[in-house]
Amino acid sequence: MHHLIRDFLDKQVVDRDGEPLGRVDALVLELREGRPPRVAELQLGLVPLARRLGRRAEALAETLHRRWGVRPSARHRIPWERVLDFDVHRIRVDESAEDSPATAWERWLRRHLIERIPGSGREDAS
Amino acid sequence: MKKALQLALGIVTSVGGFFDIGNLVTGVQAGAAFGFQLLWALALGTLLVIFLIEMSGRWAAVTGKTVPESVREAFGFRVWCVPFAILVILHLMTLAAEIGGISFALEMLTGVSYRIWALPAGVMLWLFLWRTTFDAVEYSMAILGMLTLVFVVAARDYRPEPAALLAGLLPSLPQQDPTQYWLLAVSIVGALISPYMLYFYSSGAIEAGWNRSYIWVNRGVSVVGMTFGAVISAGALVVSAMVFGPRHITVDSMGQAALMLTEVFPFWGYALFAAAIGIACTGAALEVSLSLAYMTAQTFGWKWGGSLEPREEARFATVYTGAILAAALLMTAGLDPLKVTLLSMTFNAAALPAVAVPFLLLMNNRRLLRGDANGRFSNAAVVLVIVVSFVLAVVSIPLLVMGN
Repeated sequence: MHHLIRDFLDKQVVDRDGEPLGRVDALVLELREGRPPRVAELQLGLVPLARRLGRRAEALAETLHRRWGVRPSARHRIPWERVLDFDVHRIRVDESAEDSPATAWERWLRRHLIERIPGSGREDAS
Repeated sequence: MKKALQLALGIVTSVGGFFDIGNLVTGVQAGAAFGFQLLWALALGTLLVIFLIEMSGRWAAVTGKTVPESVREAFGFRVWCVPFAILVILHLMTLAAEIGGISFALEMLTGVSYRIWALPAGVMLWLFLWRTTFDAVEYSMAILGMLTLVFVVAARDYRPEPAALLAGLLPSLPQQDPTQYWLLAVSIVGALISPYMLYFYSSGAIEAGWNRSYIWVNRGVSVVGMTFGAVISAGALVVSAMVFGPRHITVDSMGQAALMLTEVFPFWGYALFAAAIGIACTGAALEVSLSLAYMTAQTFGWKWGGSLEPREEARFATVYTGAILAAALLMTAGLDPLKVTLLSMTFNAAALPAVAVPFLLLMNNRRLLRGDANGRFSNAAVVLVIVVSFVLAVVSIPLLVMGN
């Protein structure tokens, strides 16, 4: 039996190889009659994060996402079925940091900014 | 053996990384205006920084986590976002002040205005982070930082009376100009406890792979390293008191401060001062930029590390690139390096409760720290110093703003 907020909310999420994907910005619980609630999905993204600060912050984050967002969706949902395992440090999910929507900004900045500056990494030589 | 090396290295690094533009400006102003009378503020701030640094290293060694991620995990994003926002602003202000210090050192050596030097100085800092590793930053700054010992050498040369120095360690009321006295007291404390040191130090501990067995290394580094660092700050204060005090010179520009070493080192004094300041501020600016990037990456769960290629951590690299650019542009716009420094050091002290209280609660988390949680003594010491600095800061900020 887990303490849902303490054990999952705000925890580090990593992909199947242990590469960081982000933190749990929101939890969606499923209430079941006569049984304890279960975690339906983890959400990652600025919008679910901003929602925790209030409606106005959420609206602002939505606007930012619509105008400049590079993620396909403002909230990346990871259904509980895709959680592989977890410990006190991290939650491992069945995704890859290489193509997960959670790391869309990382790839966008790499491609449009960082890689255009000389000396940004090993691939320069090739 | 490995631990002995880490201990020695840690001490040298913290001595090298301790002294920055904030310590210099506040120490020199205090010495010029009040002689040794404000040494107590230096002692108080050093005590606080020893406790805070020791705590952040202990947290990292025992839990394997850094402070920002742990505060977010323990208290949630809603609680963490306030200190986080304050810290981002403090980091940017401090970075601007350090870049101001580097540019000023270059102005001293070349005669070309600091405003012209701000952007090239920013590019130099950025190149350092872009192309080198955490270890390279740490070691080169540790070695070069030893140059700041000139302030201690110069202070010894003046043979200050031990009794007068000891008297300065006891808090006393000023005979004249109480406004400036309290303002300087709080900015001295603020300069010593610059938050970037905590985040840089604990991230470094994680990168070096510290675990519970490093608790004593951590304790040694905090106590010995910070004390030695404070001795350099005290050196600057003492030299300033001996040089400017008797002549009733108040130091209100960096150009005046630059003359403080010329009595002891007639030929080299000016260049030595410029070199010591330039190097001290470069080291601090690198630490501030990395600290900001660490803190942001840890808050949002990005990949981070001082030794990865920029393309492997694009967001991390974007944060320090943007921060250095913004801070350099602020200095290019013509902000007075001296005023920016004093203002950011006072804000450091004013923001201390928001930054330190969640951290202090964390350090009392017995579920995660068990026997290594804070004892009553550390808690009492930290709370006391936070309250004192906060009260001083809240009283002084209106004075600072009105004074300008």
